Amino acid sequence: MNVQRHGIKAFLFRQETVLGVVLVLEWFYFDAVGRNFGTYDNTCDILRHSSEIGLLALALTPIILTGGIDLSVGSLLGLCAILFGKLWRDAHLPIPLAMGCTLGLGALAGGLNAALITRLRLPPLIVTLGTYSLFRGLAEAITRGVDTFTNFPASFLALGQGRWLGVPAQAPVFLAVALGYWWLVHRSTFGRSFRAIGYSPEGARYAGIPVHRRLALVYVLAGVVSALAAILYTARLGQAKADAGTGYELFAITAVVLGGTSIFGGAGSVYGTLLGVTAIGALDNGLVHALQPGEMAGMLTGVLLIVVLAGSAAPKIISTLRARKAATRIAGHSS
Amino acid sequence: MKRHFRELSVAAALGVLLLALALCAPAFYQPQPLLSLATRQAPVLVVACGMTLVILCRQIDISVGSQFAVCGVCAGLLAAMHWPLPLVLAASIACGAAMGAFNGLLIAGLELPSIVVTLATMAAWREGLLWLRQGVWVDLPDGVQWFGLSQAAGQWTLVMTALTLLTAMAFAMTHLSAGRFIYAVGSDAEAARLAGIRPRRMTFAVFTFTGALVGLAAMMNVTQSPQVDPNSGTGLELKTIAAVVVGGVAISGGRGSLWGAFVGLLLLACISPALTFMHVAAYWEKAIQGMIILLAVAADGWRNRKRNL
Repeated sequence: MNVQRHGIKAFLFRQETVLGVVLVLEWFYFDAVGRNFGTYDNTCDILRHSSEIGLLALALTPIILTGGIDLSVGSLLGLCAILFGKLWRDAHLPIPLAMGCTLGLGALAGGLNAALITRLRLPPLIVTLGTYSLFRGLAEAITRGVDTFTNFPASFLALGQGRWLGVPAQAPVFLAVALGYWWLVHRSTFGRSFRAIGYSPEGARYAGIPVHRRLALVYVLAGVVSALAAILYTARLGQAKADAGTGYELFAITAVVLGGTSIFGGAGSVYGTLLGVTAIGALDNGLVHALQPGEMAGMLTGVLLIVVLAGSAAPKIISTLRARKAATRIAGHSS
Repeated sequence: MKRHFRELSVAAALGVLLLALALCAPAFYQPQPLLSLATRQAPVLVVACGMTLVILCRQIDISVGSQFAVCGVCAGLLAAMHWPLPLVLAASIACGAAMGAFNGLLIAGLELPSIVVTLATMAAWREGLLWLRQGVWVDLPDGVQWFGLSQAAGQWTLVMTALTLLTAMAFAMTHLSAGRFIYAVGSDAEAARLAGIRPRRMTFAVFTFTGALVGLAAMMNVTQSPQVDPNSGTGLELKTIAAVVVGGVAISGGRGSLWGAFVGLLLLACISPALTFMHVAAYWEKAIQGMIILLAVAADGWRNRKRNL
């Protein structure tokens, strides 16, 4: 099944291509239904709003490539937003230093995931489910459930609300991270080893890949990128609360899977993830323009994820059914 | 002794906690608050029984909290339409079983990973319910709360229902072939298939059965108050997974028991009142829950590592 097909037909049936077409249709539909959907300002708005989920989705792409998962990114975003607010307001650190410390703490939190997964060889699913609860719980405990951080200086808020050369200020940051991940996944030996681990961790180990170090790298990077997303989130909304980023892991995982990265590991691309993020961002924004309630977006994202997963499993099911039919035919002949 | 080391060590931790409570906060042992605590945990125990089966099968279900909310609201709406209570109960169980079967169909039928499927259904059910009902509470007619019995009788009914179910299921898991099949599928699906078990059918059945249990638990929760909260069951998946994992059920499937999950749930259920009595604020609860999950799996990982060397 994994034979590479070339040519125009193969290109047309790639999940990224299908997703691109869906995205264009989505765009035309919302442009027709909503009033200001297709304007430049709104496009900037979509970019602004999807940058945090986009960052998380980028961080999840190599993790899912290795056959792992990280459910804790949304909770870590919340925790990092709180820590950033705490460092700035209560520890009186200047903003750049507070940002640096937040990124460091994000790396530390990612390191906790990495240590449990690689040192104790625990499944990523249960580890990150535990840290999902732990990080959100710590954020709630630090703020006692009510404290919020506001009144950030205007120079910091410009990072989330201002424009830079006509594009939203977070666009260059997002672009830089996306380029970094593109290089990591598609242009470096790291990307090769992620795929190898996703296909078969044991095989990768026999091939001389330092599996544990590679795995630790992607989880620590996910921690740093979640912290960066927390900073952008705080700058965009102008406040940091303990419930920041609740449910973002669902959107991020959906974006990655929509983009054609196999949830079983071993295959996927950064372009696909970027397309998936755009599709979800446009859906979220378009529903607002089409005057639909906000819960619709969460529900549709869940449904979309199920449909795409079912679609991706369909070829495998068809081929097993065919094989079974062929097997019974052969058995019939021989008897 | 060695076979049940894991369960016994959790039971020992529970004993230490109860002893500490007896010394520091004897007020914990008044019968009425204890009965209320047990009643509140009864639906959680029912869901935890289902979660144990799912994890024994080497799967996971994080949509139980959303299923719980949907079943609860369905039961509430039907009760408000003055359906007889047994019918409401049956409808709630059927509603849960249908949602469980949907998960099972995707996981066993299409061989999709359970974590992603149930993550999607978790969001779809919860947000769909919010969208349809706009977060409105359902008022229940008289005679639904505590099944129309007195409060104490209603509480005892719920607690005894949960305990009976636990005992029956624990018996089934060790003495009935269906129970042994679940262990077999969780330990090695391929070996189970070669032994004549149909692993995919078992997985589907386990998810459907868990859904039915969630429906029952939702009904047990509905009868505890005069209104139905559409946001009930938030975090239920974490609570039950924590109980199951703390109770020594291996997340890699095939190892563990319902009694372990029961002791794990008791330990977790006593921690929150213990925190209150020891003047630790309630907002630490989620963090402590996460830490307990991590500690439990880390301890298992540590033991397995030593065994492998």
